[in-house]
Amino acid sequence: MFYDVGEKRVGKVLKTARRYLTWIQNSVLEGDLSPATFEALKIDVRKILDLQYDSVLFYAWRTERYMSREVVGVERGCTDFMV
Amino acid sequence: MFSELVKVNGYLVQAFSICRRQVWLLARGVTAEQSNESLALGRLVDQNSYARERHQVGFGDNKFDFVQGADGELVVCEVKKSSRAERSARLQLAHYLYDLQKAGIEARGVLMFPTEKKRVEVELTDALKAELDCVYAEIESLAQRNVPPPAEHCKYCGKCAYAEYCWG
Amino acid sequence: MGKTLYLLSSGSLKRKDNTLFVERVGEKPRFLPVETTDEIMVMGELDLNKSLLEFLTQKQIILHFFNYHGYYAGTYYPREHMNSGAVILAQAAHYTDEARRHKLASTLIVGAIENMRKVVAYYQRRASLDVEDILSDLERFEAMAPQSGSVPALMGIEGNARNRYYQFFDRLVQDEAFKMVERTRRPPSNRMNALISFLNSMCYILALSQIYRTHLDPRIGFLHETNFRRFSLNLDLAEIFKPILVDRLIFSLVNRREIQEKHFEKETGGGIYLNDRGREIVLRAWETRVNETIEHPRLKRNVSYRGLMRMEAYKIQKHILDDTPYDPFVSRW
Repeated sequence: MFYDVGEKRVGKVLKTARRYLTWIQNSVLEGDLSPATFEALKIDVRKILDLQYDSVLFYAWRTERYMSREVVGVERGCTDFMV
Repeated sequence: MFSELVKVNGYLVQAFSICRRQVWLLARGVTAEQSNESLALGRLVDQNSYARERHQVGFGDNKFDFVQGADGELVVCEVKKSSRAERSARLQLAHYLYDLQKAGIEARGVLMFPTEKKRVEVELTDALKAELDCVYAEIESLAQRNVPPPAEHCKYCGKCAYAEYCWG
Repeated sequence: MGKTLYLLSSGSLKRKDNTLFVERVGEKPRFLPVETTDEIMVMGELDLNKSLLEFLTQKQIILHFFNYHGYYAGTYYPREHMNSGAVILAQAAHYTDEARRHKLASTLIVGAIENMRKVVAYYQRRASLDVEDILSDLERFEAMAPQSGSVPALMGIEGNARNRYYQFFDRLVQDEAFKMVERTRRPPSNRMNALISFLNSMCYILALSQIYRTHLDPRIGFLHETNFRRFSLNLDLAEIFKPILVDRLIFSLVNRREIQEKHFEKETGGGIYLNDRGREIVLRAWETRVNETIEHPRLKRNVSYRGLMRMEAYKIQKHILDDTPYDPFVSRW
């Protein structure tokens, strides 16, 4: 999930998204959601947005097999389930 | 032996026309898996459509999604995720109207399918009332059975929240 | 189905901004997504408060605690959300009816032994081991179970079968550092015993978490006595899966040398335990294993071993409700 929203709403969007996904770097979160949880996230985010102004992008993969991910530079956040 | 009386509510009436086994399970408090995808999606549609109007109204053992009133007329509304099981939703709503009528309140019913932008009016006819009387009797005798009706495959099994329970 | 979080390092876990927040010494604090979490395994030292526990109850998240050695210490089992008086009564009635209890308990043992045989037969084919004697003994014990007179007699058969089955471990594992010699518990006397004890407890917990998602009461088991024990139904369920999940995983970790001598440490009390690094390797492998999926023949969809454990609990529930007789899960290979 990538978001670009008005300054006033940045904190709110981040707080909501963190309930579902893991913070990766500024305005970017990642995670593994079931279809229903994904719907719930979108509904919760929509309630915060100014739909005339803000923009939130979701890239979704059905399976991790077809996704590759590479970090150049510093890895800021991680999604490891072992903390 | 489990001999507690079943509370016939809208949910059971709706379940009855889809699957008798589910009625037996519900009568014993064996609720469906809450994490089931289709159930969770339904809950979302339920909680997030008609946000302004909605206010669940409890009446007897029933819970109406919301009611509207205009010109002294009462309208009971029931929200559904899809019209796939429209017939059973219609029976559920008719049951609400019937319960209200028994308490001396006349009302109309509307089924709402927000994702399909569709509305269906439901009126309590004598035929529906007769059908409901049969349904109540059958639910009660079904609930008293010691053994549940065996699982039978039907078109609702695929997305049913009990699928893993019945077929696992 | 949600995810399992493992808290290995020490720190504090809080509710913050309506989600989970973990702070660790010398590390960046992290938010964890509450909406996708089912259970949390606490291995390190952890500070927490009541507001967190209330939050976990609301979200139906279970918390399992382990002591310093990785032994199971206890569970925060949030108030049951799946209540059915009818199921609890049927479960208790099934326990007190000796004939019916014996029937279910022996079916559980037959399932457990059958899965042991599958494991032995698998390595017999793969590694061309001479284990025919063990296989035929297991078969004999399996046939004896339903004929036995009482539940204590059944437990005896189960113990004998398992001892015989454990003899197969030393024939398969060539590495001298991982010989079992005999099964020792509390404390485990060598590395193989340490691995078995640790992973068995993970399997008990897996079963406990899945029972939480059903209407069954984990305190009433059928094979394992309910008295003097907090939970016993999860031990029953775990018997079915231990050979496939725990033992197969141990063989693969040891044979591929993913787990080595350096991953253990000796305690002054005489026991041998996994060290922090060893525990992390084993837990990662365990989590991968239980999330592996197989195609369910009747549901016609892929189900993980974790999901299969829940369905096994459903099967027990159906059995005690006189719905469908219990037929244990048996691995196909």
